[in-house]
Amino acid sequence: MSPQQLNMAAVGFRNWARALSKGKQPGFSALFSQVRAASGPSKGMLPGPYPQTPEERAAAAKKYNMRVEDYEPIPDNGEGYGDYPQLPDRSQHERDPWYSWDHPDLRRNWGEPIHWDFDMFIRNRVDTSPSPVAWHTMCKHLFGFVGFMLLMFYLGEKFPSYQPVAPKQYPYSNLHLERGEDPEKQPEEVKHFNI
Amino acid sequence: MADYREAPLATRPKTLDPAEYFNLSLNQRRAEEERAGLRAQLKRQYQMQLNNPHRKELIEDPALTRWVYARTNPYNHFRATKKTSLLGGLFGVVPLFVLYYVLKTDREEKRPCIYS
Repeated sequence: MSPQQLNMAAVGFRNWARALSKGKQPGFSALFSQVRAASGPSKGMLPGPYPQTPEERAAAAKKYNMRVEDYEPIPDNGEGYGDYPQLPDRSQHERDPWYSWDHPDLRRNWGEPIHWDFDMFIRNRVDTSPSPVAWHTMCKHLFGFVGFMLLMFYLGEKFPSYQPVAPKQYPYSNLHLERGEDPEKQPEEVKHFNI
Repeated sequence: MADYREAPLATRPKTLDPAEYFNLSLNQRRAEEERAGLRAQLKRQYQMQLNNPHRKELIEDPALTRWVYARTNPYNHFRATKKTSLLGGLFGVVPLFVLYYVLKTDREEKRPCIYS
């Protein structure tokens, strides 16, 4: 699918309806232009394509309220990040709990650039704080234990070990009378063991 | 603060980072000042809107608007590279065929059992 059609699919019905009602071009052609509502932020305040020139970089840094030296766009690998800045992958758990944030539950100030995965880094979700033991140690312990248990259970299935068993031995000449056999007839002698 | 140890399971706060106190170059100090300046401006804007007695509407956060727009419109800057095509094929095309074959063979095996 061409990028234009993909964009239409992404923008969705609401914009399509809005385009038809408020569209800058009348009728059918409104469907195929990137029409947005007239209210809200201007085109220059929204994320744009990956910055190519230093001037574009400076403009993007200003747009995102960052210093030009701090602003580093996410590397352009075609995955659709555009000029969005690459911020450190630190969860909101790691931010100072005692500072007077504008939004204390999110530990964020108004206007601060939001990490791409912000909804993952909120305090209910992923936590990148230091762990009590190093990560590789934890991995080794966990997967070592689980792997060992899996191996042992597998070996237990392959090589079962239980108390020796034999067929059940019934008394009274193998329950001769209870089985309905002739009481006069002499039952056959079944030797179960040797002493 | 020389014997400060971080709380367990917490990162050391930026204000207690020893690198912030010793051997700071002028450039680093200037950078910190600029960052603090940006933060202060944003704080001021927010407080002005927050404490404005004539304000009736919600305070709109342009950073949030930008984030939402960026997250919902990745296809504007999508390019078909090797990696993206591979991912798209792996998640979008291969499951269709795999599921078709798996379900079909499962059904074919069950069919004689059901109808016999």
